[in-house]
Amino acid sequence: MKQCPFCQKSVQYIDYKDYPTMKSYIDYFGNIMKRYYSGVCLRHQKMLKTAVERARFMGMLAYRK
Amino acid sequence: MHSVTFQRGSFFCRILLTSTNKPLTLPPLISQPHARDWALPTNHMPELAATSEDTRVYEICVLLPYPLSQKEEEQAQKEIEKLLSEASGKQIAKDAWGRRGLAYRIGGFDEGNFIVYHYELNPEQIKELDENLRIVKNVLRHMIVKPPKGYQIVQYSEQYEQWQKERVQAEETRKQHREEELKKKMLERQKRQTKRAAPKKEAVEEPTPKEEGREKLTAEIDKLIADDELEI
Repeated sequence: MKQCPFCQKSVQYIDYKDYPTMKSYIDYFGNIMKRYYSGVCLRHQKMLKTAVERARFMGMLAYRK
Repeated sequence: MHSVTFQRGSFFCRILLTSTNKPLTLPPLISQPHARDWALPTNHMPELAATSEDTRVYEICVLLPYPLSQKEEEQAQKEIEKLLSEASGKQIAKDAWGRRGLAYRIGGFDEGNFIVYHYELNPEQIKELDENLRIVKNVLRHMIVKPPKGYQIVQYSEQYEQWQKERVQAEETRKQHREEELKKKMLERQKRQTKRAAPKKEAVEEPTPKEEGREKLTAEIDKLIADDELEI
């Protein structure tokens, strides 16, 4: 089993300003990658989702490319 | 319950100790080569903690349009800070990011200027502050976020320059790798060509030693035959 990349670093919070970490979980069209493909655990996927949505609202990430 | 926070990569980790009250000595971090390691911010500031029980630490992010005259920008910033101080806020950190490209057009602007404030505010005044921030002129977007316990402020304006430098470096290393690979290929090709040419030459040169050997052999055999002592 592949472990969640965030769990490996024991991440507690994903910052919405931290673009490079979020970037790798977003596809070309600006959608968040499915957990199935990225291997992120549910807890961190939820954190990632809130972070990405906040970043999208502030104009740091695109809703749709 | 005693809590210790320490940093690992960009984020902070938390160990909860139930029985012992001594701070843990941290185990040495194993450096794992990771694809995203270059992107993780490292300059952490001290951990946030509210001084009194009535207040909490809030993170206020404001987006101003980029091509804005200095007067207007200063005015907007002053107004925002005034609002925050009116809400009996105490400034902890301010981080102006400067010019940044926006992911999509907001209010006719393609570029913006982010400012991130960290303030100690009274939770009761947040709603009012949120409404007031909406009225401020030249504020495209604003957001008030409650950072979690143990959050460490990162100065992203400094981080951004690092990211850009690292990006340029990564591209340069990629180019170098490509060039090296091309050189290797060229060398291999040359070697192959020389190898192909070499065996033909050997084929031409080879017969002479063989012939010499044959001549020697025949001479020896003749000698042997000429020997009278041999009895066959």
